[in-house]
Amino acid sequence: MVRAYSQEHTYKHPWERVTSASWRKFADPENKRTLSHILEVDTLNHKLDPSSGMLYTTRAITIHAPGPWFVRKIIGQDICHCVESTVVDAQSRSMQLSTRNISLEKYIEVEEKIRYDPHPDNPNLWTVCKQETSIRIKPFSALASMAEKIEQKCVDKFQANSAKGREVMERMCKYLEAESSRGITA
Amino acid sequence: MGILKDKKNASRLSTSPCAQLREAYHNCFNRWYSDKFLKGEWDKEECVLEWQKYRDCLSQHLDDKHLSRFLEADGIVGGAHQNDSKSSTGAPK
Repeated sequence: MVRAYSQEHTYKHPWERVTSASWRKFADPENKRTLSHILEVDTLNHKLDPSSGMLYTTRAITIHAPGPWFVRKIIGQDICHCVESTVVDAQSRSMQLSTRNISLEKYIEVEEKIRYDPHPDNPNLWTVCKQETSIRIKPFSALASMAEKIEQKCVDKFQANSAKGREVMERMCKYLEAESSRGITA
Repeated sequence: MGILKDKKNASRLSTSPCAQLREAYHNCFNRWYSDKFLKGEWDKEECVLEWQKYRDCLSQHLDDKHLSRFLEADGIVGGAHQNDSKSSTGAPK
């Protein structure tokens, strides 16, 4: 049983601004309220290839995942760790993020892939974001009969959260735009 | 910024002792990313000191075995992802 879905969104902001916003979206206090399921983001590793302009980063994302009570009872925790790997290619202007859970993987596997590329119709001013998510509940006796229902719940939750994520990204882009028009880029 | 929020969650999160060092590193990284990296100045790594302090703290407080595995790794795990999604969509010229 796998649920997969994909989404596409156009940001009317240049790729540079959108990818800067992507790095900052979990850190801003305003965004923390919207994305309250994200508890903690830590950078675990990073590597820069100075000859090619490739930047590789691994981050840990701690998510609060309150499920139905019986799920919590079986799983015994409501915090889930995910690992996000990011590759940014500064020369071809592409950013790829891949996130998967590393806890609770006995029960559920979630993988989310996001790409940010310059929009083909307006590569200097717009950015296209393509997102693919797949959710798989492992069939195991205690939850087998409910697994399907839970899977759908997960999908609903993920879709709601990715809508929130877009909202945050849009706000962050506007903020960065205002900053750069004032001549501050930090 | 965000410090109040961090304090609120402090009791349940293992890496909270590193919150200040994390913020210092992420601020430095975000500045470097926007001001240097995106403008073609990717020949030199920056925020090295901030990173070392933050990483040292993480290696002391990260009690999750799954996560410390990534911290110890020299290179970056997840190279496969880079290959498989590269082929599917070409970067616009």
